[in-house]
Amino acid sequence: MGAVIQTRGLVKRYDEELAVAGIDLVVERGEIYGLVGPNGAGKTTTMRMLATLLAPTAGQALVCGVDVADDPMEVRRRIGYMPDFWGVYDDLRVWEYLDFFARCYGVPANRRAAMIGELLEIVDLSGKHDAYVESLSRGMRQRLCLAHTLVHDPELLILDEPASGLDPRARVEMREILRALAGMGKTILVSSHILPELGELCTSVGIIDHGRLLRSGRIDEIERSLRAAAVLRIDLLSDPEPVISQLGTDGRVSSVLQVEGGIGTARLEVSFDGGPDEQAALLQTLVQGGHRVAGFSQATSDLEEIFLRVTGSLTDEEETAA
Amino acid sequence: MTAATTATGGTRHGALRELWSSALTIMVKELRSRFRGRRAFLVLTLYLAVLAALAYGMYTVTGPAARNAARLAAEFGDPTVINASARVGQGIFSILSVFQLLLIGFIAPAFTAGAISLEREKQTLDLLIATPIRPAGLVIGKLFSALAFVVLMIVAAIPISALVLMYGGATVDDILRQQAVLFSSAIGFGVIGLFWSALTRRTQTATVLTYSTLLALTIGTLLVWRFWTDVATAAPDNVLQERRTAPEAILYVNPAVAMIEIVANTELEYGDFSDAYNALRPTGAGGEECIGDACLPLPKGRPVPAEPPMPRGGVDLPAGPRALLEPAVDFAVPPDQLALETEFNHFWPRITLTYAVLSVVLTLVAMRLVQPAGTRLHRWRIRRRSSGPERAVPLEAGAGIEEISG
Repeated sequence: MGAVIQTRGLVKRYDEELAVAGIDLVVERGEIYGLVGPNGAGKTTTMRMLATLLAPTAGQALVCGVDVADDPMEVRRRIGYMPDFWGVYDDLRVWEYLDFFARCYGVPANRRAAMIGELLEIVDLSGKHDAYVESLSRGMRQRLCLAHTLVHDPELLILDEPASGLDPRARVEMREILRALAGMGKTILVSSHILPELGELCTSVGIIDHGRLLRSGRIDEIERSLRAAAVLRIDLLSDPEPVISQLGTDGRVSSVLQVEGGIGTARLEVSFDGGPDEQAALLQTLVQGGHRVAGFSQATSDLEEIFLRVTGSLTDEEETAA
Repeated sequence: MTAATTATGGTRHGALRELWSSALTIMVKELRSRFRGRRAFLVLTLYLAVLAALAYGMYTVTGPAARNAARLAAEFGDPTVINASARVGQGIFSILSVFQLLLIGFIAPAFTAGAISLEREKQTLDLLIATPIRPAGLVIGKLFSALAFVVLMIVAAIPISALVLMYGGATVDDILRQQAVLFSSAIGFGVIGLFWSALTRRTQTATVLTYSTLLALTIGTLLVWRFWTDVATAAPDNVLQERRTAPEAILYVNPAVAMIEIVANTELEYGDFSDAYNALRPTGAGGEECIGDACLPLPKGRPVPAEPPMPRGGVDLPAGPRALLEPAVDFAVPPDQLALETEFNHFWPRITLTYAVLSVVLTLVAMRLVQPAGTRLHRWRIRRRSSGPERAVPLEAGAGIEEISG
């Protein structure tokens, strides 16, 4: 293991506007790292700096151990980059398109033909070898663009919103391809604002907003760091009011929320400071109290919830500071 | 040789090889696109068809008049009237030279004005810049592939120009001069297009700026020269109203002047384009030549013929048409007049040289302009406000780097 991407105090300023405000990012080898944030948060700017398309205003970025400012050419040789918006050369055939980029990366002529065949197989475009790029669907073009990042067998892929504009089926295909690439040992830095998509794909995420990296790490670690208490979901077939009253007297319960349940059931979300033993005891108390409990489980938060809580806490902090 | 110099030489050699490899990669891709389908062949065919039609049209227009003039000259025994064949040749040479320059002026920039900006518009430039392709290689590859087609057009038209050799009136040297001006103009026009394409964001803007530049270099410089001359001549201190001409260097960027000069030197005194070449004649030894009212300076040291030299004669014609013509007479200019030193006193070598230098300089600037901001060599781009942090600004985002890191 070792960091493939390491940034220290990375800053990008456009005139008066601070797009990236000092990011310290570490992406370990073999990870699929998701950069999460709303539009304008600084994801694209960060990725473009890592891809050597933008010079940092301040700070340092090492990609595969090479400083992006000192030796951008070497960085380019080590990475595959797919921008958020890109075009294709319509008047080329699929193999010519990949052949062109292989030449750009200096792939020897005797390896190009075989490599193009393999890549088309990986991105499931084998049948389109001689088709014109303009005849490909959006999803196919997206996969072709992904294939172009692989022509030189890079260590790191930087993919900016690789699934944007794709239909659900194409998104699933793209996700599977990325998983396969990770299985081949590639480190992948991927951004998206479609959080469930990243939640399913990534091993680690970084939550970025207003140019700052608010949290970074494995999803479950971030979740743990955010929660002092577990959230219990209790589904009731009986009247929830007595249960709410009873829980209100329990010192381990910090809050009780009634949320929309299924037909004929009421759902409570309870912040409960206690481990599995205490949770089992609570369930026992409720059942013994004559309440008809149809469901009792610990809620697992998804990336979307984590994101909202992280960015929400930031907003709260800002409001408090103001 | 020390180890250090060897290493430097090796690095330089490696860099050159990488540059050439980058250029070649771009050229292969561009030529694949450009010569695909019928478009390129249609353009080439149309170009040659227009030139051939012009040559044929000139032949049909000048032929009868030239024969009549030759017949009258034979009857009245005027030895200064040239033979009909040479006049036809001169006519064809003139119209081909002028129209080729005009067509090249339209076509060469059309191939380059979108070379870089189209990559930006189609959002393919990011993909390209993110590869280890050298920005200099990108520019050279784009330029060479665009010029390859223009050069093909010029070369393909040589056989049409060579028709002139059959009629006489212009020599192989004249055709070589014509080709030199065409090539240097094509390269210069192409590079101007490439420069604007690298500097501006949109192809439309680049195209407008390119053609505006060409108009400024051709018609603009003539107008400036004329205006300058008129103002200088009308100056209050010029009591005798002597003609004070503007500096001739103004016209060194005008390839039209070079072409007019080459054509004029074949015709000199007599020919079907008599108005044109009379206007281009030197006004005595005063060192200037005029087109209508507009007079151009003759570069210093240009030999002014003491008497109008005879246009060069044509080759022998077959017996039939020959019967209608005066015998072909060879009035070849003495070889010493074609010496390089004398030749450089003309406009055309100076204009060709100016365009060569202009091409090199603008190509170097264009290379700088496509440097991605990440290299920290990016300094020359016009500073412009960006609309937001997420805006894709691969080439202009370098603005503002210096204020903190520099």
